[in-house]
Amino acid sequence: MIEVRFFATFREGRGKSSLLEEKDYENTGKILEHFHILREEVAILLLNGVYIASDAPVKDGDVVALFPPVGGG
Amino acid sequence: MKYERQLLMPQIGQEGQKKLEQSTVTVIGSGGLGSPVLTYLTCAGIGTIRIFDCDVVSESNLNRQFLHNTKDVDKLKIRSAEEKLSVLNPDVNLIAINKRLDKDNAEDCIKGSDVVVDCVDNIATRITVARACIKLNIPLVEGGVSGFYGYVIDIGRNYPCLSCMGYDKVIQKTPVPILGVTAGVIGCMQANECIKLLLGIGDPLYGRMLTYDGLSASWEEIHVEKSESCPIHKYKIKKQ
Repeated sequence: MIEVRFFATFREGRGKSSLLEEKDYENTGKILEHFHILREEVAILLLNGVYIASDAPVKDGDVVALFPPVGGG
Repeated sequence: MKYERQLLMPQIGQEGQKKLEQSTVTVIGSGGLGSPVLTYLTCAGIGTIRIFDCDVVSESNLNRQFLHNTKDVDKLKIRSAEEKLSVLNPDVNLIAINKRLDKDNAEDCIKGSDVVVDCVDNIATRITVARACIKLNIPLVEGGVSGFYGYVIDIGRNYPCLSCMGYDKVIQKTPVPILGVTAGVIGCMQANECIKLLLGIGDPLYGRMLTYDGLSASWEEIHVEKSESCPIHKYKIKKQ
């Protein structure tokens, strides 16, 4: 399974996290597509804590964290 | 005695208090995050606090920027902040500077600080401040808010920064929606991290982005690593 963790406004309507079958999602792009999130809406996309700039393959046990811009002060 | 209650803490005591009183902290921004950061650092008796802001107080600031009030509208934020903070603790050396940090002046502005606390409202300045802190090897406490959500992370030369996470590539929609309480919560956490870093105690939030969700009333950590392609850290490596 792949754990997708949502943060800030990405939680609205999606909850805090979601588990996906790795066989249905070959890369992070497919995961974003599944949750109707555009890449440009994502400020931080981490795969197991590491930033990835473009679609990266995912495997069983991976954790994907999605964080929108939270830059106010 | 002013600091009696924190002197009682084994993590602070006389020695720690002396450290705080000998410290210099630079706070960038005196708005929603800056209000709690500056208030608690002033209360704690930091020796010198430099405040940078080039903005004036507007009515729309008042839902969250509690250092300023209705009488301060149109006043320079640094003056308004200085007025309140100097009364709160006259023993703190406050240096209020009416200046916007940019890539040309950032290093001069933060030079000599023991810790920098970033309380700005835009991503471009966050990246500028981080670049200068990493270059000068000054610990940086970074925080941001939006609506009911926020985050805090400590940044250093040997630890990941916002650019390591690709945060510099995002364009943020403005104005950012913010509940005053959220800025208060995150600002308090930034002040706490700053005091920890000055005293060298506890576990700083290096490599750990602490995220706050006010709607579910929960905190979560995101583990982050330095990126090999980070333009800020890469620059530092080249210069070493």
